[in-house]
Amino acid sequence: MTFNNAAADEDVNPLADPEERPAPPAVFIIFGASGDLTSRKLMPAIERLALRRLLPPGFAVVGVARTEMNDDDFRERMRELVEKGGGGGAEARHVWDSFVGAFRYIAGDYDDPDTFERLKDVLAELDNERGTAENRLYYLATPPSTFPTVIKGLAAHDLNRPTSDDAFVRIVIEKPFGHDLQTALDLDATVHEAFDESQVYRIDHYLGKETVQNVLALRFANAAFEPTWNRRYIDHIQITVAESIGVEHRGSFYEQAGALRDIVQNHVMQVLSMTLMEPPVTFDADGIRDEKVKALKAVEILTPEKVKQQVVRAQYARGWVGGDEVIGYREEEGVNPHSTTETYVAMKLRVDNWRWAGVPVYVRTGKRLPKRVTEVALQFKRVPHLPFAPEMVKDLEADSIVLRIQPDEGITLRFGAKVPGQAFRVRSVSMDFFYGAAFLEETPDAYERLLLDALIGDATLFIRSDEVEQAWHIVDPLLQAWEHEDVPLATYESGTWGPGEADDLMAADDRRWRRP
Amino acid sequence: MEVVTAPSVSLSTIGSWQAEGVRADQVVSALSELRRHEERAATRTSVMTLVIVVRTPEEAQSHLDVVRHLGARHPSRTLVLVFCDDDGDDESRMDADVSVSAIERGGRQVAVEEVVLEVRGQARYHLDSLVRPFALPDLPIAVWVATDLPGRGDPLLTAADRVVVDTRVVGYKRDALNTAYSLTHRVAVTDLSWWRLKPWRNLFASLFEGHVYRPFLRNVQHLEVSGHAGPRHLFAGWVVSRLDLPRTVVHLDDAEHLSAKLVASHEGRRGSFAVERKGDERVIDASVEIEAGPQFQQKMQFGEDWQSRAVADALSHMGHNETYEAALEAALRLLR
Repeated sequence: MTFNNAAADEDVNPLADPEERPAPPAVFIIFGASGDLTSRKLMPAIERLALRRLLPPGFAVVGVARTEMNDDDFRERMRELVEKGGGGGAEARHVWDSFVGAFRYIAGDYDDPDTFERLKDVLAELDNERGTAENRLYYLATPPSTFPTVIKGLAAHDLNRPTSDDAFVRIVIEKPFGHDLQTALDLDATVHEAFDESQVYRIDHYLGKETVQNVLALRFANAAFEPTWNRRYIDHIQITVAESIGVEHRGSFYEQAGALRDIVQNHVMQVLSMTLMEPPVTFDADGIRDEKVKALKAVEILTPEKVKQQVVRAQYARGWVGGDEVIGYREEEGVNPHSTTETYVAMKLRVDNWRWAGVPVYVRTGKRLPKRVTEVALQFKRVPHLPFAPEMVKDLEADSIVLRIQPDEGITLRFGAKVPGQAFRVRSVSMDFFYGAAFLEETPDAYERLLLDALIGDATLFIRSDEVEQAWHIVDPLLQAWEHEDVPLATYESGTWGPGEADDLMAADDRRWRRP
Repeated sequence: MEVVTAPSVSLSTIGSWQAEGVRADQVVSALSELRRHEERAATRTSVMTLVIVVRTPEEAQSHLDVVRHLGARHPSRTLVLVFCDDDGDDESRMDADVSVSAIERGGRQVAVEEVVLEVRGQARYHLDSLVRPFALPDLPIAVWVATDLPGRGDPLLTAADRVVVDTRVVGYKRDALNTAYSLTHRVAVTDLSWWRLKPWRNLFASLFEGHVYRPFLRNVQHLEVSGHAGPRHLFAGWVVSRLDLPRTVVHLDDAEHLSAKLVASHEGRRGSFAVERKGDERVIDASVEIEAGPQFQQKMQFGEDWQSRAVADALSHMGHNETYEAALEAALRLLR
């Protein structure tokens, strides 16, 4: 007997738990499969997704790289590297056993048409044998210079478009999205010659962090915070992205990047836009990204003169961090001894919109600072009148709300309270909410979350082309000024919170940096 | 009653208090006193009050072990009510064991409160009056009746936002599913039997992800579910209710382990989709075979600490679970 039921006519799996969000069948194709990102981030994410039962049986991985390997070598190598990185275990054994036949490898150059011909054949085989349903997710885990070559190769072999209305083809592109505004626009043009914007998933792993997403939850799910989130109550905003490490083994890469490109253009701009954005009408990809772009468009574009006044760039010198003596930036391996690459940036930005007019945003990021911390602090204005004698409130600071993104993710609220005793004294106290203490459940790693989103087709936590462009519009004038104008490069002792010039930037406004 | 837990979590006692023949307000005061002046207990991040009803002090301890794992995910105040055997004395009497402890996980400490009350006499029939004084303000109350299924008229339900039961503890009788179904009309219910089926349900559902496989769900010809009475009915009830299948395509068999096979067709091709646990290894095999199409298998291991996970998962959702309720209703129809 055949029974025609209506439940399966919809575009959703009627048996799927709506909260589980399993991925559809697909082939995950990694360009740069023998590289560090693949073994350190992508493969562990794949293993965890499989362990969480979020990958369907019709799932396969194709690695593409120059290194010679066969399918089994590739799978075993990935398995070993994931295990070495802390993955593996009894449960994972079954996951990797299931991957037999589902892991394929193509050794070849990205500019060789044969590489793409073989890829095409392998994809057809997997569709037939593994039921991957003609769905493809490409991942560019290669150096940025190869992005155009790979993209053009895919397009030349008709691998850039879905073969049917039911299938999908998506491409994930790792940052950096260009080296400056012009190269970003050039890359975008190349991408859009082959892919529609709806197929493109620009990844900044910061957005995959639970606590970055929690900024949206905190702001838009709580009536207690949002009403004060504006110029009427907020005096200024401080965003800090601090690292205690130096450039490590990435000296030559960092020489080409610097703190502005490495952190400000992407991570800081993402955090900034989420902090400043208006409530989205809908909590979907375009609803959120539209508002983020609007927020970025309201950020002041600095003139060369203002770059000199409102931006501090600096380089770390020798010093002590956490009890260890460390060398200066110019002494690092792969770094030019006369380098002018900045390892620290502090800047003051104006936001020209109704909500934030007159509320300066101070941003600082740097390497070799005292500790690793990312936070957004909103400092409230003082009350209009304090009905206390000055000696009663001499220990009272302005109220603040701090969103701690990493580590110790959570929220700190600083407010005034009476000191117990006969005298009436008010002092500031901090109330800490630790995100991890309320929900100690294991949170998905950023790559795990973002890979699943890309497979499902949820672009909310990926960066749209106009976001990238707008972020470059903000950052590019700084690069231009540093290149063409006489802008000093300060130094700071490793293990301190940055150069004195950054303190002067705040002091000029009668403010000071928080100590995170 | 089987209680399976994961390895112990790191628990350090900040303070404890025991007393016999006490009143509820004395216990509440003792709890407050334990927290006072203790820095580690000063910050409490709670999401619910959890009440567990058991019949012996030993059961109280074994369930607290489960909850300590839960504490790492749902920090809460836990009140364990031990419904002591009738000793012939009608007089109400209560003995208390109160502790405030710190659970450490990932380098962070979370303070948890545990109150064990051994209740005797008439008070045993008014447990709701013991729940309310201990409830954390404005937070949901989940009541886990660990060794029985409460009747629909049980006064304890008036104090509960959610009731956690396990239809397996009463042997998967038809009455158990009936009682659980009846409870769902009164309060949101979590049935741990339902959560125990989650690996099977998820894996089975994953076989139909994507446009190649989903259309097979439109033409289901045969659904075969084997296993113990109860789980097989719940599983089959879930598929039947989600796909709106008629009773006639469903075949149920008794077996030691759960397995399910769905046969369907699409565009003239026959497809078989199955999940099965073979032997005692905690591994589920999933397979898909489509005529002139993809054929593949997948294995999945499921963990041993299912109970903590199941309770934790279950308590993540405080409202009614409509999928479970529909599955339960369909299971009852299959039992007729």
